[in-house]
Amino acid sequence: MGSTISEKILATHAQRESVKAGDVVVCDVDYAMVTDTRASNTIKMINRIGKKQLEFANKTALVLDHYSPPPNLEAAQIHTEMRSFAKQEGTKLYDIGDGICHQVLPEGGHLTAGNLIVGTDTHSTTYGAFNAFGTGIEGTDVSAVMTTGKLWFRVPETIRVSLTGQLQPGVWAKDLTLFMLGKFGAEGLNYKAIEYVGQGVSAMNIDDRMTLCNHAAELGAKAAILEADEKTIEWLNAHGAQAPKPVYSDADAIYAQCLEIDTNILAPQVARKHQVDDIVAAHEVIKQPIQFALIGTCTNGRLDDIRQAAAILKGQKLAAGVRMIVTPASRKIYLSALREGLIEILTLAGASFESAGCGTCVGITNHLVPGDGDTVISTANRNFKGRLSNPDSDIWLGSAATVAASALTGFITDPRTVIGGDWRSHS
Amino acid sequence: MSKMNLSSVQGQAFVLGDHVNTDLHCSGKYLPNQSAEAIAKVAFNGLTLGFASKIAAANGGILIAGDSFGINSSREQAVHIMQMMNIRGIIAKSFGRQFFRNAINNGMPVLECDTSILLDGEMLNVDFSMGKITSSNHSIIEAQPLPQEMIQLIEFGGLIPFLKEHPDWKF
Repeated sequence: MGSTISEKILATHAQRESVKAGDVVVCDVDYAMVTDTRASNTIKMINRIGKKQLEFANKTALVLDHYSPPPNLEAAQIHTEMRSFAKQEGTKLYDIGDGICHQVLPEGGHLTAGNLIVGTDTHSTTYGAFNAFGTGIEGTDVSAVMTTGKLWFRVPETIRVSLTGQLQPGVWAKDLTLFMLGKFGAEGLNYKAIEYVGQGVSAMNIDDRMTLCNHAAELGAKAAILEADEKTIEWLNAHGAQAPKPVYSDADAIYAQCLEIDTNILAPQVARKHQVDDIVAAHEVIKQPIQFALIGTCTNGRLDDIRQAAAILKGQKLAAGVRMIVTPASRKIYLSALREGLIEILTLAGASFESAGCGTCVGITNHLVPGDGDTVISTANRNFKGRLSNPDSDIWLGSAATVAASALTGFITDPRTVIGGDWRSHS
Repeated sequence: MSKMNLSSVQGQAFVLGDHVNTDLHCSGKYLPNQSAEAIAKVAFNGLTLGFASKIAAANGGILIAGDSFGINSSREQAVHIMQMMNIRGIIAKSFGRQFFRNAINNGMPVLECDTSILLDGEMLNVDFSMGKITSSNHSIIEAQPLPQEMIQLIEFGGLIPFLKEHPDWKF
């Protein structure tokens, strides 16, 4: 009997021949990540275990991204505690503005194909873009990892999604993940691992693949994982990762479900206000005005996202009454955008830039607070009512191209209907 | 150390609905700077006003929920607060993934099964290790018990007490 990618990675890390969905296994973890929202809890749990020497510390990164920069004294104190812990224990520290956890971990070369990676954030599924099993955990879990190097896992069932064809100009991985959310519903793939395969994946560059795996968190997935190909290996090598150990699924692997999506015919999608799974094609939305546009977050704050926006807004102005914020996912991305002239293009168009962090997504830094009755179009992954601190405002979700096209017209807009909206990367 | 006896957990049933977000109803995420004790007094008020005092009056109880209990919730503080409220176990049709981990890691007995016939206020006797629910109004419900490893973690009171006794992770 064959195995899925997830089963193989978990089996290898549990030093077992094979494992099957439903088994509970204890695995060696390759790398762990702790964000500032869960750091205090993690340190408290480590103290409860009471171990003096943290052998795993050099395989752990502490990331100051959610409260970046800290909006109050409480958050600032958490950061102080994290800096001091990192110095004392020798963990890697990413400070304010360095970037969002899911961006700095791969960029920093901390993971490679075949790895098992855990992080105190649900979007740790992002690492599947690099053929790693990445999953979200909490403080007790990470304290166990830091003191023993191991963690328990229940092996998830896998659903295999074959992407035939390839996304057409103006259509991005975000549109595909929104389509999946419309199909399965939020948490519709709870506990499960997703394997995305096929030409649709091969055609995507790394930025888009990261979106694909990242947004699986809203489906409730424990992991979302891709096969490694030449693009993966090249990217990992360029970022100083350890030698990739690619893992492929067997032809006779057992899947909970197999389905096929023709990506050739997929149109840009948006999630309507308040519900991440209330999905409609952007062109079907008639005259929905927007007042705020956000490009950023761990889902869509990468270079290709900023390029999409610049392609649409080059030489243009935001529609009257529209405010736009761009939050690159890391300092490296900010620098690349600066060198490519994208920041000048977007600034001239009327956009403002924020330093890298999660604040404009989760509303805890109060850097993006919509007014009563405002509608936000955002590249974020969640749009719960009140997520940006005002329950009397609405949040819609779309790709960076859709957000930029909407900021240009002032209405929710299919990017294929505006100049530059059909831009695509060549990698 | 003394292990928790999971074979006969007794208490009054307190029924909640589907998709209960425990970050929202039972943690400090939206109540920063509040003590856990203060949050425990108002927990689940958004769903049923006075829920915490009803549980206190019954000297604790067993939570019954529908689909996706703990959905979108990641904070294990929610489990600590429920323990403070003397909630002795949770039976739901399904759980949010991270909440489910947090419950096991913190020694909160959980069970997945169809809960639609269980009634608010009835007395339950639950064998979490065998997956058997005996209610005062119905015959027995047989559910799929959790894997042995998870049951052991709960019996120990969670992952940290388990690792103190078993630093080699041997179940």
